Amino acid sequence: MAGPREILSRNPGAAVGTALLAAILFLAVFADLLYPGDPWRMATRPNLPPFSPGYLLGTDMLGRDLAAGIAHGARVTLLIAVAVTGLAVAFGVAVGAVAGYFGGRVDDVAMRFTEFFQTIPSFLLTVVIVAIVAPSLTSIILAIALVSWPQIARLVRAEVLSLASKDFVSAARVGGLSTPRIIWSHVLPNVLSPVIVAASLMTATVILIESGISFLGLGNRAFVSWGYLLGTGRTAFRVNWWLSTIPGVAIFLTVLSLNLVGDGLNDWLNPRSSGRSKRG
Amino acid sequence: MDRIGFLTGRAARAIVILLGVIVLNFVLLRLAPGDPASVLAGDQGAADAAFVEELRHDLGLDRSIPEQLWVYARSLAQLDFGQSYREQRPVVDIVAERLPATLLLTLTAFGFALAAGIALGSTAARHAGSLLDTILTGISVMFFAMPLFWIGLMAILFFSVWLDWLPSYGMATVGAGHSGLSHVADIALHLLLPALTLGLFYMAIYMRVTRASVLDVLDRDFVSTARAKGLKPGLIWRRHVLRNALLPIITFASLQAGHLIGGSILIETVFAWPGIGRLAFDALMQRDYNLLLAIFFITSAIVVAINLVADILYVAADPRIKLGA
Amino acid sequence: MSRFLRSLALSVVLSLSAWSSALAQEAGGTLNLIVQPEPPTLNVGVNRLGPTTYVGNKIYEGLLTYSADLKPVPRLAESWTVSDDGLVYTFNLRRNVKWHDGQAFTAKDVVFSFEKFLPALQARSRLNLAEVKEIAAPDDHTVVFTLKAPFPAFIFVHNTAVLPAHLYEGVTDFRNAEANTKFVGTGPFKFAEWNKGSFIHLVKNPDYWGDGKPYLDDIFFHVIPDANSRAIAFETGQVDVLRAGDVENFDIRRLAELDGVELTEAGWEVLQPVGYIHLNNRHKPLDDVRVRQAIAHAIDRQFIIDTIFAGFGHETNGPLSRLSRFKDTAAETKYEYDPAKANALLDEAGLKPDANGVRFAVKLVPLPYGELWQRQAEYTREALAAVGIKVELVAADVPGWFKRLTSFDYDLGQNFVYTTADPAVGISYAYTTVEGDNAGTTGGNVNGYSNPEVDRLLVEAGHENDAEKRKALYSQAQKIISAEVPLIWTHDIVFPTLYRGKVRNLITTGFGTDENFADVWLAK
Repeated sequence: MAGPREILSRNPGAAVGTALLAAILFLAVFADLLYPGDPWRMATRPNLPPFSPGYLLGTDMLGRDLAAGIAHGARVTLLIAVAVTGLAVAFGVAVGAVAGYFGGRVDDVAMRFTEFFQTIPSFLLTVVIVAIVAPSLTSIILAIALVSWPQIARLVRAEVLSLASKDFVSAARVGGLSTPRIIWSHVLPNVLSPVIVAASLMTATVILIESGISFLGLGNRAFVSWGYLLGTGRTAFRVNWWLSTIPGVAIFLTVLSLNLVGDGLNDWLNPRSSGRSKRG
Repeated sequence: MDRIGFLTGRAARAIVILLGVIVLNFVLLRLAPGDPASVLAGDQGAADAAFVEELRHDLGLDRSIPEQLWVYARSLAQLDFGQSYREQRPVVDIVAERLPATLLLTLTAFGFALAAGIALGSTAARHAGSLLDTILTGISVMFFAMPLFWIGLMAILFFSVWLDWLPSYGMATVGAGHSGLSHVADIALHLLLPALTLGLFYMAIYMRVTRASVLDVLDRDFVSTARAKGLKPGLIWRRHVLRNALLPIITFASLQAGHLIGGSILIETVFAWPGIGRLAFDALMQRDYNLLLAIFFITSAIVVAINLVADILYVAADPRIKLGA
Repeated sequence: MSRFLRSLALSVVLSLSAWSSALAQEAGGTLNLIVQPEPPTLNVGVNRLGPTTYVGNKIYEGLLTYSADLKPVPRLAESWTVSDDGLVYTFNLRRNVKWHDGQAFTAKDVVFSFEKFLPALQARSRLNLAEVKEIAAPDDHTVVFTLKAPFPAFIFVHNTAVLPAHLYEGVTDFRNAEANTKFVGTGPFKFAEWNKGSFIHLVKNPDYWGDGKPYLDDIFFHVIPDANSRAIAFETGQVDVLRAGDVENFDIRRLAELDGVELTEAGWEVLQPVGYIHLNNRHKPLDDVRVRQAIAHAIDRQFIIDTIFAGFGHETNGPLSRLSRFKDTAAETKYEYDPAKANALLDEAGLKPDANGVRFAVKLVPLPYGELWQRQAEYTREALAAVGIKVELVAADVPGWFKRLTSFDYDLGQNFVYTTADPAVGISYAYTTVEGDNAGTTGGNVNGYSNPEVDRLLVEAGHENDAEKRKALYSQAQKIISAEVPLIWTHDIVFPTLYRGKVRNLITTGFGTDENFADVWLAK
């Protein structure tokens, strides 16, 4: 396996992606230092264009600093993305590992369950859930996670199926190790790398889904997310183009960097697929 | 697995979906703040408490939740999806009016995404590591990284407002009175922007999958063997590489069909496309549960049908595989 | 006024309208409009929602309509008299009116509508019927309403659509009647086609009773769910009219600058919309009048009008719109923007700030009708934070918002309400004591405000036949209500309408674009 440094030099996309992602993370982590105070605060005159003195990205119709919104929004957006991915991966790995390892009836039931969530239109389901339980950070995270896990479950199941017949697993079984123990210490570590790759791409998708929810007017006004900024600035596009364009670019760059990093990870962790991308 | 087993499997799947819809119905009834009666009462202007109760009784909403669920399940067993609270007519009729528009939009987008995705993806894989590969991959990442509605809005501003080439909304020119071929042409013109917007996003995904899949196949032994045997590259490509690489793409794409239909909510909103995505959103906003659940069921059934077609294609692409295996 | 004088006044109105229609109208052409959101039905007897009324009022007609200065104007009733004691309303119906299916329109239809159909489906119609002792049809062209007590507002309930009785013979379940979807009216336009999700098409009614009317050949209502797309449709000339709410106010300012585009603020004299922030008077500490007054002083309502609503709107400090005949600004308490005064009032109410400067926390349910209301909610949160009131925004869609407000499950809630042409058939409900925990509708008393004196004044004013005495009673009510601020009146709403210059006579009465459009014509 090539080292990360080697991958980065061989794959400039991944290098760019990592740098971008680092910058975005920096923005999210230090939002409070860069733009102290409440991002909702009406700081100055409304509708200032970008590059106005003191307001690099301009202000919105209430005179709120867009740059502060972007910085604090990075935090919320990434929080949602990471939380959803964490939940979906945890649940997906559990379902996939159990289904693949035990096979038979268990597999059947688990797969029917998984198929249900893959068959019904997932974005619609997300929107329905967010609308009926009222949009909050928690409900948005749960609703997106609910439709995101099946992809991980299928991936893990397929990998586990092929591993279950491998010698080292049989050896562990013969050696009298308990089933949870075998799954935990022999099977899962071996499916980790494709899951990491899928997770990085899922994080990107979640950001897009969150912006879609805001677009439909179902966002929550308790926190500033990029989806919120994009969704609300959008109606004013013809009057104040920057209000939606800048959050749009922020989303674009983040999703782009996550994809590039995902490809790089794939390159590093799954060297056999000599290409740089693999999904699904 | 034999054909009967295969069909049983499909039937089981349909039943799981039906059960899922019933569970969803339960969740909606239990959790949603505000019910159809309160929405209707709002529509009627100054309602009072007694009026709302009367409405609730008329709609059967004053019964206990298990009872409501039982009534719903019983009619569902007869494939009766009930009446729309809001429009006072069978929900199936309402869905039937709007379904063709969504099918036209999503199937066009799907066909385009699949064809373009496979073509570009295999081209990129064939020239892996070259500048062409980098450019194609770059394009796919770009389309994948922008929110659908944002691409749509930009496309409208560019093609409809600034260039004035394409219509900005709807499925046909309202009041134009086209018929025959000119009507078809009119619809095609309206279809272009929404289908491309939806299609480009999925093209980006299919392209990545194709590229990865082709590279995977190129690595396998039988390709090296074929090369060693001195078969012509074109023949190897068609007979061995593409055929094998297509299998995972078909599976993947058919699994994505549900996503595609879900994604059409955003596109139908931006382009005022009269499909069921928008209908579903309106039904949700009006707590028209029967209508919403019927849409869930029917779209899921379509996805199941698409998966079935994918399975058959799978067999066609690889005669070694039996149905349902 | 005597019966004779009333008839005289009527004939003046009639001859004036005959004169105005003598201007050189051109017949023909198609008018393109937007209906937003798509209505569930076009039957205005079944549904009273804005979009239904907008389209349905071209198909169905009432006995009367009302001019911009709130005088009754004849529609299906050719003339009418009100007895001096205010108890008997006699309407003489037009004789040459046919339903769209060719049947003759008679007094039977009017009696059926007011006695059976409308009360079955509309709560407000039920309230009106409660004032009526008897509805009689002495002949096919006369309808007589006899009231239990004088109720001067009764003249303002006759814009309600009349429905065809002959389609409902033997029907008992009016809500689910099949005839509801036939859309048979007497209006200047007939229903032609409804392509769900795309457009609604109405065509000229060649047998319309108005001579030479309507001028238009047909009307298309386009269904466009996204505000940006609606603005573009107007900009590119695909639709001719934009109503308030079709696009956000800042876009109205932009579009009004375009060549050949006209803007008017007229046409809301009947509905009289007013913006609200409801305060739940049943929740502590909002039950304290000082706290409510403090909130009124803490919000810069001029900022809301100027910055959020792009300058469309007027300040108001009481329950009635500036367009109301009963508006008495002298009786109102003026709540100027004064955070210091707000702080003083809150201190006085014993609500001291804690270590974080927070006096108390409330939940605000924003109005889910577009971006500007959300901006207003965000502004309110900041403005109240400045005086130590912590506001949490509770996101809700329309049914959720409706549910919370009508069941008193909120602290602060945004709304806008049509206060209507007469308080007795409109805004009085919003200040009348509600028993129990269901206010029924968001137009009702969702504040949970209760003052027996106000209750008494409103009932008395509603049934006072003497115009001067009535005005005095309403002034007294306004004085109390304004001082007790059961809710914050954020602004007296201006809903502008944008239209292409070629559209003529678009707004001719106090109903604005909800009128039947018999007079609208297109310049070539």
